[in-house]
Amino acid sequence: MPIVYAGFILLLVSFGAAVMSLEILSSNLMSPYFGGSIYIWGSIISSFMVHFSVGYVMGGWLSRRFPRISVLAAFLVVCSLWVLMIPVIYQPVCEFISENIVDVRLGSLAAMNVIFLVPISIMAMVSPYIIGITTALQRQSGLTAGMVLFISTVGSFAGTNATAFYLISLFPVSRIIVGVGIACLAVSLIVLLLRLDSRIGLPDADNGSSSQGSCI
Amino acid sequence: MKGNTKTGMIFLALLLFFPTAQAMAATGSQILYESDSIYHHITVRQEGMERCMIFGRQRDLRQTCLDLEKPDASVFEYTAMMFAGFLFRPDAKSVCLIGLGGGYIPTVFRMHLPQVRLHTVEVDPLVEKLAAKYFGFSIPAGQTLSIDDGRQFLKKSRERYDQIWLDAFNSDYIPAHMATKEFLMLVRSRLTDGGIVVQNLFCGNRLYDAQIATMRSVFAKVFVFEGQRSGSCIIVASDRPATDPPGLKKQAQRLGGKIGRIDLFAQVGKCKVSVAVKKAPILTDDYNPANLLIMQKK
Repeated sequence: MPIVYAGFILLLVSFGAAVMSLEILSSNLMSPYFGGSIYIWGSIISSFMVHFSVGYVMGGWLSRRFPRISVLAAFLVVCSLWVLMIPVIYQPVCEFISENIVDVRLGSLAAMNVIFLVPISIMAMVSPYIIGITTALQRQSGLTAGMVLFISTVGSFAGTNATAFYLISLFPVSRIIVGVGIACLAVSLIVLLLRLDSRIGLPDADNGSSSQGSCI
Repeated sequence: MKGNTKTGMIFLALLLFFPTAQAMAATGSQILYESDSIYHHITVRQEGMERCMIFGRQRDLRQTCLDLEKPDASVFEYTAMMFAGFLFRPDAKSVCLIGLGGGYIPTVFRMHLPQVRLHTVEVDPLVEKLAAKYFGFSIPAGQTLSIDDGRQFLKKSRERYDQIWLDAFNSDYIPAHMATKEFLMLVRSRLTDGGIVVQNLFCGNRLYDAQIATMRSVFAKVFVFEGQRSGSCIIVASDRPATDPPGLKKQAQRLGGKIGRIDLFAQVGKCKVSVAVKKAPILTDDYNPANLLIMQKK
């Protein structure tokens, strides 16, 4: 069980940090095309809130339908690959949108959603997914819903500060995003390799019967 | 006991308010307006005949001031220094100014350079309203104003200018997207042949060096004017300026030595031909720690 908890904590901290790092970096991606006003921050924050909402609903539903960490990790691999593509896609996306939508509020909202809807929604699935799985264990789990959110938020705190205070002054934004993508991919693959599902022994989806995995 | 408490409260209130009131009375300073726009906290303050528009809450950092009796007199050194642009491009017919403030620069153009078409770009609609209400700013024939982000305006505009002046910076904040190589390349594309860009900055921080390095990565020639009674600096850059620094004095003579109350000879003496910048990064849209560099002293 310690390995399962370590895997959960790794996921929560890493993706909690990645979400906020990308949120900070997104202002650098938007400002050359839509200006540096408070409108940009309005678009960034509101877009991320929408992505979080989508991720929370999807994560909660999927954790009940497929209560397996491997399913979550597969989504996270897709999300990491998307993050790795952001430095390539953001310029043509922002260029196209800023030329076709005059209003910077609508333009930045559209650009934020095209670039970030998929990866941030998937990243937001991590906490509800893990809460769902720990609930499905049907026994006293050391990881309460509150503790899951706490660990994820500690990751977000670290991701925000590390990016805003240090990384932006040390590296180009595109390289930081690639770094975040590689870290996310590595964490997803490590979690897959740890074979957490067989260590947990979760009940099958929806029918409540126990799986064949060894219960540690 | 109750009486004592009441007296104590009054005494405390006096302690809190008295120094401010006293300071206000002693300096004759008066707050005419204070509120928040979508971009800044803005205060309009008057002291004697000097009226200032202050951005942010650092009251000592006066941003843009006007002498009510002599509206064309440069209260700040940098505003006079920016007119050194005319030493490099004396025949300029059109100028684009990014950053309105209290409207001192458009006032000098209105009073003393009526033959020059000035297009001012200001991002904050409240700044324009306050400039009109408290600083006598108006848009005369020959001048135009756009409420827009400077970079977005230049991107959309197809017009070319003989000079583009960048004055959209505070001491503690810079719109970072207007500090990059890509932005300066956009500026260059909106200049006429031999056009110049003039940028106002503070010299004491690392952003200043980075901005010189970034200018040098875009323009063939970069000159610097260092303030003598302030921490302000002006960067002038061009691919083909009409004059080089040795010819500036002659150019100032040709212009009669003055633009209104601005002494052009005084500005000539502030020009530095080659400024060494150490370990200064070139700022790009991708690598842009402008607002971290502005906080780091040299």
